Amino acid sequence: MLWHKAWLETRWRFIIALLILTMMAGSSVYGFIATQRLLPVLNANTGSPTVEATGLGEAIREAIELQKTFRGFVWYQAIRQNLTQMGVFFAILLGCGGLLSESTKGSALFTLALPVTRKRLFGARAGTGLAQWFAIAMVAPLSIVLLAPSIGERFSIVDALAHGLCVFVGGAVFFSLASFLSTLFGDVWRPLLIAIGIACAIALASFAAPQLAIFSVMNGESYFRYGTLPWTGLLISAVLAMALLYSAAETLERRDF
Amino acid sequence: MSDVIETAGLWKVYEDVEALQGLDLRVPQGSIFGFLGRNGAGKTTTIKVLLGMARPTRGEARVFGQSPVDAQSGVDIRSRVAFVSDEKDLYDYMTVGEIIAFTRSFYPRWRNDLEQQYLRKFELTPGREIKGLSRGTRTKVALLLALCRGAELLMLDEPTSGLDPAMAEDVLQSLVAHVGREASTVFFSSHQLSEVEQIADHVAIIDRGQTVVSGPLDELRAQYQRIQLVFEGDAPEIRVHAPGTHRVRRQGRVLTVLTGPPKGGPSQVNAVGPSQVNAVGPSHANAVGPSHANAVGPSHANAAGSSHATAVVEELRGYRPTSIDVTPVTLKDIFLESVKTED
Repeated sequence: MLWHKAWLETRWRFIIALLILTMMAGSSVYGFIATQRLLPVLNANTGSPTVEATGLGEAIREAIELQKTFRGFVWYQAIRQNLTQMGVFFAILLGCGGLLSESTKGSALFTLALPVTRKRLFGARAGTGLAQWFAIAMVAPLSIVLLAPSIGERFSIVDALAHGLCVFVGGAVFFSLASFLSTLFGDVWRPLLIAIGIACAIALASFAAPQLAIFSVMNGESYFRYGTLPWTGLLISAVLAMALLYSAAETLERRDF
Repeated sequence: MSDVIETAGLWKVYEDVEALQGLDLRVPQGSIFGFLGRNGAGKTTTIKVLLGMARPTRGEARVFGQSPVDAQSGVDIRSRVAFVSDEKDLYDYMTVGEIIAFTRSFYPRWRNDLEQQYLRKFELTPGREIKGLSRGTRTKVALLLALCRGAELLMLDEPTSGLDPAMAEDVLQSLVAHVGREASTVFFSSHQLSEVEQIADHVAIIDRGQTVVSGPLDELRAQYQRIQLVFEGDAPEIRVHAPGTHRVRRQGRVLTVLTGPPKGGPSQVNAVGPSQVNAVGPSHANAVGPSHANAVGPSHANAAGSSHATAVVEELRGYRPTSIDVTPVTLKDIFLESVKTED
């Protein structure tokens, strides 16, 4: 029943996140047709030697190259941009809340008076949230597999699952970060804003130090380019997520209500 | 009779606030125990410590002989305790039926017969959403959830706060009936002294995180006496020296003296059930008053209470009052005397 409670508490966030990310992934399929029409125009405007010589020109040229194929377009638009960037936000949103935020609403004492340990309370909430995040991370890429034939294209189910796994594990770090922050602050806003701030800081820092690029793990760049899952990054992300969840459970255990 | 709750030298410090300062408490099994104190005296903190919601800074707390500090013991304790918080806040996103089903799943000894009985008695509709309920109805839902658990100990924090008198009476009667039927112990905090007096057989009064009075209610009342002296003219300004004098109040021709246990420590009465309290009357005032003294003292005054009152009456007889009445005290008198402010 704790799982049911956690589901009732988070179901609207989950449904909204699932709908938005799936719709974004699905709509990107149809964006491929429009992009193909634009590519010749873009090629003409970025083909000058002055633009190509700059870093920006190089990035634009690569983006155009990638989007010439359906697989490249899906990765660049749906996975790398929509699912990774919006996914971080929704993973954080799903991680916010819990027992401490219940205390501001007043129902925490009812929950704490139940004959269960705080670790079990936290585990049910975190487990439900991670299951929801896993569903979102998998359903969004799989929707591309389903919709691609409608425009005469094909997206491999293996690719969808591989990218879904990367999105899930990378997003789990931000989910866990929000869960941890929610054991420090009773309201929803501070964990949400601090976690988003940390995500933005990591994104900025990854320009200077690519080894910090958790987003590269999340968007499965190595899988897209070389067909190899970023195992090291996935492992580090999973360990980091577990460490954050463990810290959250310990913080909650020691807390007075 | 064993104690279901015991605390010894219990301290709880929140940053720079000392919520509990060496609280000693014993709640006998089978009692209806009123837990009294002013706002901020430490009542809710005590309950939180007993249920493992807050950790004691030092000292010991035991419920059913187990420490709530240990996570697993805390679970065992909470499986035998039903708690209703002051705010009665439940899950707004559930219906009455859903929260009953949710709570039922944690208690193997859940009483379906009581659930149906209280649904009817409290006129609760399972399909109604919690967020749409009035405070009174929420209280009834919270009580239903507590009473149906098959708990051995009901721990209630201000069970009737926010209720109108009729509903409060309804709730109290339900509690008394439940305890009589199910042979459980009730530990409840309240600001409503008349309610406590109505249903409690034991009380503890705490002030600034310490127990100042504790014991069976009848015995506590017997320890205290109110002596009222009426004079022909204005009552004289008197400084009473007899031991056990707690308060002297002049009002026109009337002088009222409250006597009780000598000051300097908590008034502890041996924890015995009310049935064991011997009736030892009549009042001493018959014997020690002036010839025209009108004695209406409590028939159950015990020897200690009588001796303090006797000493005061002896001392004041010299002022030649026209009458001396020794009357029983109320819980309110004891409470106000116990928690009076320093000024």
